[in-house]
Amino acid sequence: MTVVDIPPPLPVRDRTALHERAPGALSPMLTRLAEERATGVLVREHGTLHLAEGRVVHAESPLAPGLDVLLTARGTLDAAAWPWTDDIPAATHRLLVAGLLPRGALELCRLGALYDAGYFALAPSSTPGRFRYGTTAAAGPPGAVRPLRAVPVTALERETLRRRELLHRIWPDPSADGAPLIRADPVAPPPVTPRQRAVLDRVDGVRTAPQIARELGRPAFHTLVDVRRLAAAGLLVPRNTVPPPPPLPPVTDPDIALLKRLRDALEAL
Amino acid sequence: MANTETALKECLTSIEGATGVALVDYTSGMALGTMGGSKSFDLNVAAAGNTDVIRAKMRTMEHLGLKGEIEDILITLSNQYHLIRLLKGRGGNGLFLYLVLDQSRANLAMARHQLKRVEEDLEV
Repeated sequence: MTVVDIPPPLPVRDRTALHERAPGALSPMLTRLAEERATGVLVREHGTLHLAEGRVVHAESPLAPGLDVLLTARGTLDAAAWPWTDDIPAATHRLLVAGLLPRGALELCRLGALYDAGYFALAPSSTPGRFRYGTTAAAGPPGAVRPLRAVPVTALERETLRRRELLHRIWPDPSADGAPLIRADPVAPPPVTPRQRAVLDRVDGVRTAPQIARELGRPAFHTLVDVRRLAAAGLLVPRNTVPPPPPLPPVTDPDIALLKRLRDALEAL
Repeated sequence: MANTETALKECLTSIEGATGVALVDYTSGMALGTMGGSKSFDLNVAAAGNTDVIRAKMRTMEHLGLKGEIEDILITLSNQYHLIRLLKGRGGNGLFLYLVLDQSRANLAMARHQLKRVEEDLEV
């Protein structure tokens, strides 16, 4: 007689334990990189984070307008003065050296852009992130000027979580964040602020919230806040990209037909 | 032109009775810089919460059809003053300075005046 041994259960990663170990961690990989004070570029599905010695020095996301857009859109910086290059950290460094912009203004704008792109870079993703060790250009050549302040990973994670909660509190439906938006026409529209009006004016059934942010030269998260408030006020809805369900087959049951006639009559009252 | 850190430091050292100060982005509620505060008084939490104060006031003014702009908001507690000063910078991205004062040591008129000067220095 042969005895069949039950094979031992396969090891399964305990997700709850993982979560408890690092409460609020958005990316275990990022936490580990911060601990080992790594330098390089973390590429995630919706954006990239540049690290220098475990701290965030630069963030980019296709969903968030870059520092170039934020600075030039409203005339904070003359568009001609921006050293047009894809390497934003290098361009920032050159602005700083040339003294084209007060250090404080540049610092604040760059910090805003970093947290904005970081929010999208740390959004839940369906693919694993990749990290490329190496030097990051964001530190700039040493010596010339004091580099702009780097952001600790924990600060970026905490702020990203706070932003998620803020959006959830305003309007818990995230479908308006990425979909093309259309205007709704409530019976008694509530008053909107001039900032929200500018967003609403650009809602045309094609543009999405990040595209509107880019056009207005505003951080994308700030536009999401406005969009969610407008959605909560019933002034806009995401365009449904899913086709409507097929119509129900005609009903032949006399009881149901009677109920439907009754409903139609009541609605017509 | 001061950078953020020096401006915040100036608030804490030159304004009598100041115990904490934060520079806050008004739409997202994020503190771009904080200084002072304590374990029991988290300036980041205070920053986020006070954006709602400003928003409520701005909405009320809009409902009333008032055209003026908010310069500052004063909140008086039994032992503290909280002073909120909105910045009108070139960036125009809605920032405000949030200053916590110890009521027994602070000179309110002086603090308001000094905060205004810091704002001019900051020139964002």
